[in-house]
Amino acid sequence: MTVSPQRIRALSLQLLLLGGLLITWQWASITFPSPTMPPLQAIWQAYWRLVQGDLLHTAVLPSLYRLLVGFLIAALAGSIIGLAIGCSRVLDDWSRPVLEYLRYIPAIAILPPALLILGPTDTMRIFVIAFGCIFPVLLAAIDGARRVEPTFLETARINGLGPVARVRRVVLFAAMPSLFAGLRIALGLGLIMMVISELIAADNGIGFFILRSQRLFQSAGVYAGVLMIGTIGWLLTAGLLVLEKKALHWHRGWRGLLSE
Amino acid sequence: MIQNTNGAILAVENISRTYSGAEMPILEGLTFQQNPGEFVAIVGPSGCGKTTLLRCCAALMQPDAGSVLHAGQKLSDPPAWLSIVFQDYNRSLFPWLSVKQNVGFGLSHVGKRERDERVAAALAAVRLDHAADLYPWQLSRGMQQRCALARSIVVRPKLLLLDEPFASVDAQTRFDLQDLVMEICREMSLSTLLVTHDMDEAVFMADKVVVLSTKPARVIEQVAIDIPYPRDQLTTKESSEFLRLRHQVYTLVRQQVRH
Repeated sequence: MTVSPQRIRALSLQLLLLGGLLITWQWASITFPSPTMPPLQAIWQAYWRLVQGDLLHTAVLPSLYRLLVGFLIAALAGSIIGLAIGCSRVLDDWSRPVLEYLRYIPAIAILPPALLILGPTDTMRIFVIAFGCIFPVLLAAIDGARRVEPTFLETARINGLGPVARVRRVVLFAAMPSLFAGLRIALGLGLIMMVISELIAADNGIGFFILRSQRLFQSAGVYAGVLMIGTIGWLLTAGLLVLEKKALHWHRGWRGLLSE
Repeated sequence: MIQNTNGAILAVENISRTYSGAEMPILEGLTFQQNPGEFVAIVGPSGCGKTTLLRCCAALMQPDAGSVLHAGQKLSDPPAWLSIVFQDYNRSLFPWLSVKQNVGFGLSHVGKRERDERVAAALAAVRLDHAADLYPWQLSRGMQQRCALARSIVVRPKLLLLDEPFASVDAQTRFDLQDLVMEICREMSLSTLLVTHDMDEAVFMADKVVVLSTKPARVIEQVAIDIPYPRDQLTTKESSEFLRLRHQVYTLVRQQVRH
């Protein structure tokens, strides 16, 4: 595969910027030594412990587990409920007042009540993550279901599909682009909720690790923890994008024709 | 309850329909019948409610007054023996399914082998066998409409509704599709209801042309087309009988527009 000169130039510029930042940091940490600005090696060592060392099991994996479980619960529940509401006038009327209020509560505000009711448990943390994730998915599902082309639904009716079959075989697919958009947003929110729940009430996880490092003035650990969160976010988003590309391979080709 | 409609497969009796918020009804006192095996074309001025009428004939929509009887019965949902080809194939063929899967969409209750056979036969009938694994949006417009046609005939309907099916394709493709539809309808002995704004097409394809008035639409006249099948794009369209009937239908429609 040949790489175009423009691509090489773009990559070089990006690497240049990154390299410049790293060099500046290293220079500053050596010239102005300070506990809050450790040299790059220290940060890298701490980061490596998170990737491969003891911290993988005490910090990274517990956090990942909570995030994935919370996200999946929200994705499933949000999609199913949202599609149902989007397809049913009755359900929509019923749920609208509640949803239109709840959606404006920042997810973070759910922490104290959750802590009160569920205590500092994994259930609480997973619940809080799920709560943060569910609204983008729910609203995207409702919107996607409402916007399904009427002719798709008419075609389904003509072919003898009842209401449930129509949702399962037509609405779900037609609403998928919208659903994936909601899932992407939800992932970002889930990451925030994961960190916060661990900062406030946890005894393991990345958020807990960052907090403990901060309290022990282990600044390398703090920065490494933050970098790890970024890494997790990046990897999960990339994974979601791969899934989206596979599931929505038909969408771009079809959309292009619609404008004709 | 089966009512006496003299064996008509479709009986539209005095139907009216007003869209909520509209001052005037779009259909009013509209009546006509279609007999089994008949090819009926519905023409009228643009915007006169032809598509609304078609949806009532498909039992996708209920009229506000009057009744639509399918084989003598009043239905609230489209019957299994009714198929429809919509005008906009882009919004009717499912883009996440291949051509083969689209055509087999209505056959989920049938076993896999029979479904594959019937799909293959339908695709062959519309000459799309080579495109079975492609996606609809990868096909040309004419091919997409043929895919829609295959999907509608694979369920072995008795009544086929077509809503301005050739409006979005170019003229030459239109002629090919017209021939294809006529051929299939004769081979399968279908009753066919074609809604079109193209009066030439109506006279060329149909046994009977139902001419509608402007809004609120009702039936002005039903013109019988006695030209024998099979009809040819060239010779039939030059025949004096065709020209006479075409003239008659044109005059009727244009009288409406002038009002």
